[in-house]
Amino acid sequence: MSIGEFLFQMTEAIRQTPIVEFSLWVSDWPFAIWLQSHFLAIPGFQTLHILAIAVLFGSTLMLNLKVLGVSGKDQTLPQIFNRYQPWIKGGALVLITTGIILLISEPVRNMVNPIFWIKMGVLAVTIVVSLWFQAAVRGRMEQWDVSPGGQGSIKLGAVALIVLWMLVMVGGRWIAYAPV
Amino acid sequence: MANSIWASIEQSGLGTTIASNEWMFPTIETIHVFALVTVIGAIAIMDMRLLGLTSKGRSVKAVERDTVPVTWIGFAVALITGLLLFVSKATTYMANPYFLWKMGLMAVAGVNMAIFHRILSKGIDEWGKPGGSIPAAAKLSGALSLGIWLIIPFCGRVIGFTLGVYY
Repeated sequence: MSIGEFLFQMTEAIRQTPIVEFSLWVSDWPFAIWLQSHFLAIPGFQTLHILAIAVLFGSTLMLNLKVLGVSGKDQTLPQIFNRYQPWIKGGALVLITTGIILLISEPVRNMVNPIFWIKMGVLAVTIVVSLWFQAAVRGRMEQWDVSPGGQGSIKLGAVALIVLWMLVMVGGRWIAYAPV
Repeated sequence: MANSIWASIEQSGLGTTIASNEWMFPTIETIHVFALVTVIGAIAIMDMRLLGLTSKGRSVKAVERDTVPVTWIGFAVALITGLLLFVSKATTYMANPYFLWKMGLMAVAGVNMAIFHRILSKGIDEWGKPGGSIPAAAKLSGALSLGIWLIIPFCGRVIGFTLGVYY
């Protein structure tokens, strides 16, 4: 089965669920109508969504490249962690908020769309890995430069998170190109 | 006719290949997104350090060492992918005011950066170290850069919504 066929089958399956009715109901919300009827509203919120991922991804790169020993060599891991961790959290908050607004702005196009659900699946995995990663870094960072024990899985997590966020971006871009 | 230059670019083998292929344009766009979020994220970290908003415990030079390589790699990828996207729709983009604004703003950002590196960055090695204050002109340059890079993705996004509006 080709990717196109798989996505088509997935769309057919979504059409059998109450998601269709729900998305139609959301499209009648006054806020949805307001977003639809103001030409710059959707690109405006999309821009905020992109700026939020820029903050999140840029901060993730700085933290994870430090973990991988590539950058931030004049700093300790706790210093880099404390510098970027709040921006990762803040970026994620703006990302989710604007994401919900964008979902409301075009409910049917988004929800009756296999790429959207694949993106949400990847996002869920990314959030879980991210929470584990942050807890793991926090637990190890004070001894980071003293003993190398337990760094392997954290370094692997650092690479995995960068790849996962890129996959989330792939999903975001391809929602507009889903064969529906 | 200036118009024929853009038309011949668009009708080139590369332009028609990208335009007629189902997955090429969105794939290049996706790589463009990877690149632009990297560029904006890294530039914002540097600009906010110049403005004294973040990384205050660290010298400007140290923050620059972390962000400049990331910025240049991201920018190179954004430029290459951006050119490929442009080639496939050159006439449409050249008629689009948001595209022209985007190019103009990037030019201003480039000039601002050149002035920063050639003139304003004298003594940068001491900035942000104990007793080393950041000159107002450098802060202004940072603020301008940050402002421009927040507007550029908006222009980019609106282009996608106005492709059918301008010819």
